[in-house]
Amino acid sequence: MAAVKQTVEHVESLEKYKHGFVTDIEQDFAPKGLSTDIVRFISAKKNEPEWMLEYRLDAYERWLAMDEPEWAKVYFPRIDYQDSYYYAAPKEKTGPASLDEVDPDILATYAKLGIPLREQEVLAGVKGAPRYAVDAVFDSVSVVTTFKKELAEAGVIFCSMSEAIREHPELVKKYLSSVVPVSDNYYACLNAAVFSDGSFVYVPPGVRCPMELSTYFRINAENSGQFERTLIIADKGSYVSYLEGCTAPMRDENQLHAAVVELIILDDAEIKYSTVQNWYPGDPETGKGGIYNFVTKRADCRGDRAKVSWTQVETGSAITWKYPSCILRGESSVGEFYSIAITNGRQQADTGTKMIHLGANTRSRIISKGISAGRSSNTYRGLVSAHPKAKGARNFTQCDSLLIGKTCAAHTVPYVEARNGQCVFEHEATTTKLSEDQLFYAMQRGLSQEEAVQLLVNGFVKDVLQELPMEFAVEAQKLVAISLEGSVG
Amino acid sequence: MSLAAALKASDVTLLPSKRDEDWKWTDLRGLLRVLPPPSQPFVGEAPVGPFAGLANLPIHVVNASDPVVIRSASAAPYVVALHFAALGGGSHSATAQIELAEGANLILLESYEGDDADYVANLDLKISVGANGRLERIILAADGVNAVSVSTADVTLGAGAQLAQTVLTDGARRQRIETRVAHPGAGASVRLDAAYLLADKRHADLTTVVEHQGVDGTTSQLTKGVVRDQSRGVFQGRIVVAEGADRTDARMGHHALILSDKAEIDAKPELLIFADDVQCAHGNTIGAFDEDALFYAQQRGMPEDVARGLLTEAFVGEVIDRIEHDGAREVAKAWAAKGLGL
Repeated sequence: MAAVKQTVEHVESLEKYKHGFVTDIEQDFAPKGLSTDIVRFISAKKNEPEWMLEYRLDAYERWLAMDEPEWAKVYFPRIDYQDSYYYAAPKEKTGPASLDEVDPDILATYAKLGIPLREQEVLAGVKGAPRYAVDAVFDSVSVVTTFKKELAEAGVIFCSMSEAIREHPELVKKYLSSVVPVSDNYYACLNAAVFSDGSFVYVPPGVRCPMELSTYFRINAENSGQFERTLIIADKGSYVSYLEGCTAPMRDENQLHAAVVELIILDDAEIKYSTVQNWYPGDPETGKGGIYNFVTKRADCRGDRAKVSWTQVETGSAITWKYPSCILRGESSVGEFYSIAITNGRQQADTGTKMIHLGANTRSRIISKGISAGRSSNTYRGLVSAHPKAKGARNFTQCDSLLIGKTCAAHTVPYVEARNGQCVFEHEATTTKLSEDQLFYAMQRGLSQEEAVQLLVNGFVKDVLQELPMEFAVEAQKLVAISLEGSVG
Repeated sequence: MSLAAALKASDVTLLPSKRDEDWKWTDLRGLLRVLPPPSQPFVGEAPVGPFAGLANLPIHVVNASDPVVIRSASAAPYVVALHFAALGGGSHSATAQIELAEGANLILLESYEGDDADYVANLDLKISVGANGRLERIILAADGVNAVSVSTADVTLGAGAQLAQTVLTDGARRQRIETRVAHPGAGASVRLDAAYLLADKRHADLTTVVEHQGVDGTTSQLTKGVVRDQSRGVFQGRIVVAEGADRTDARMGHHALILSDKAEIDAKPELLIFADDVQCAHGNTIGAFDEDALFYAQQRGMPEDVARGLLTEAFVGEVIDRIEHDGAREVAKAWAAKGLGL
């Protein structure tokens, strides 16, 4: 009977976006709109030092002079930047010194989302089960960060960005905007002006971070945008694996999420960055609502033999505009990008990566799997380039697209620039529909059409799923099934 | 934004620049600060081009003297050699209109030639192939070292029509050969091949756009390039499958060898798919010489330079072997041998 119950639950959970609820809590808002006053308000609210306020005001000035990019294959009405809240935070009672002081409604929200914020809950699991520390960002602020003590013993700094600005200004000053410059692009510039919180990680030389770190982003407030900023520094010879998850309530309006993630990897260090993005995708029929996910993610392999690996599962958002990139500056540094992007309903995604080979003997690998269904559009856009000094650069790119249904679109737009005679770049791409023969085979073995599609899709994305940390891989596999619900039959 | 528009209005600001997505690697605006004056009419014996001896009808045009119109209804293969020459510098813009009636079969042997003077040449071709018609088009571009040259062909294919095209070029100061194919009719088939052999500071841009608008269309595309010295090869291929263009089968390949540390290859093989019952694929490889193959040839007793020549010839030969017209294939072979210094 247990199996039957599980199936029923599974089918029920398939029915709709299950993270679409709203938590009713008291919140602090900045007034609607964007101006220097709002920028000052955010900075003051966070008790920031003067240099941070100047940084923000400078970014705001630059942003005013910039134009919104229009080259991506995504279409949406112009965003009214004055019609949004740039700061929303749960009302603090006394400041969350410990978890017990965090608003129980927020804790309940995270419990509902299945995110363990209580260390003992994590520990209560099976002995030897993997543990991971969480930084929970609720709208504009980080509400709690777990396992800080244990991490501190290892020398790892894992805290919210606002705390890092206060406690570790020397590190923040040194590395902030050193990978994504303030005026890098329109959305990154906006982020620099109004970013509210995010995670900060510093792993000292030679330290292997004792557990997975993760941040869980939740947009809750209405009419608000989320602008988080993440900065991860892996010092010489260190290693860290970082996971990022995100959800939002179901609303008719579009909400903007413009984040910036900067990774700095020094000699012999490695960062593994995994994302499961499940923002509310909007109504599948009308296309109303959903998150605009305009994110700038970039890793800078500054040291020799540095390695970075991006893994992303993109299932949510009305619009995704995101290109996690690797600057391979150090000699023999390595960049990897594994991506699954699924669009259904009226979703639009324009996503991919950039592998910029600057150092000698740098290597990169891109595996991208796009699936489009319904009336959605899914574009892979990527750049692989080799600088004249990048002798011996090597890239392998594989991007496959799967189309389910007559009204969806899948595009592949790779850019390859080779500027020296000792690099080898290989690229292959395919676009096909689900094989009728394979579907027939699976169904005549007794699977329903839906199950057969799930099975084939899971096989299609397997190469990427196996790159995810175990606990994410299970979640991601379920998410793939949910995202494609209703796309066949 | 086009060279034709800029020449017509004598306005450099109408030139495409690297800010135009489709021209990002072939910047004309940044290269030309002023447009040269119109070319002078040519006096003397005009060159007839490499294909004149193979044709039923040889046509040659110097400095865009006359617009060309070719209409064919011949079901038997009919060969036209069309030679465009740019002599004495200046700028000019030529046009050609080629119409194939239903079931017509035309072999168009096109060639470009120029002297060492600074010239800016534009060529616009409008080509239509009627239902079940067949066009084999071979373009041999031998522009001058100081030339800026753009050739754009717009091709429309009727139902069941076939287009087989091969472009051979050694580039120019800046050169672009663009082919845009639309097949609204069902069952059209396209082969779009190209080879570029570049040296010195030459530049060649091969751009293709194939739009499958009808069902059961096929496209097979193979481009190969070799760049040396400080030359730069650009390949931009776009295959679009419109909604409802089911059972389309499209394959695109671009493979290039970089034989010097200062040479450059830029490639953008694009697939834009709006239909689900399709098979589309592209492959793109860029790299140095395969040292293993070289080692193999050498250990069989071949001197290194011979081995390199042989391997490069075989690499480019794949494109040339696909040319169907025997005479044109021989001309192409000789062109490749000369270009590779064999």
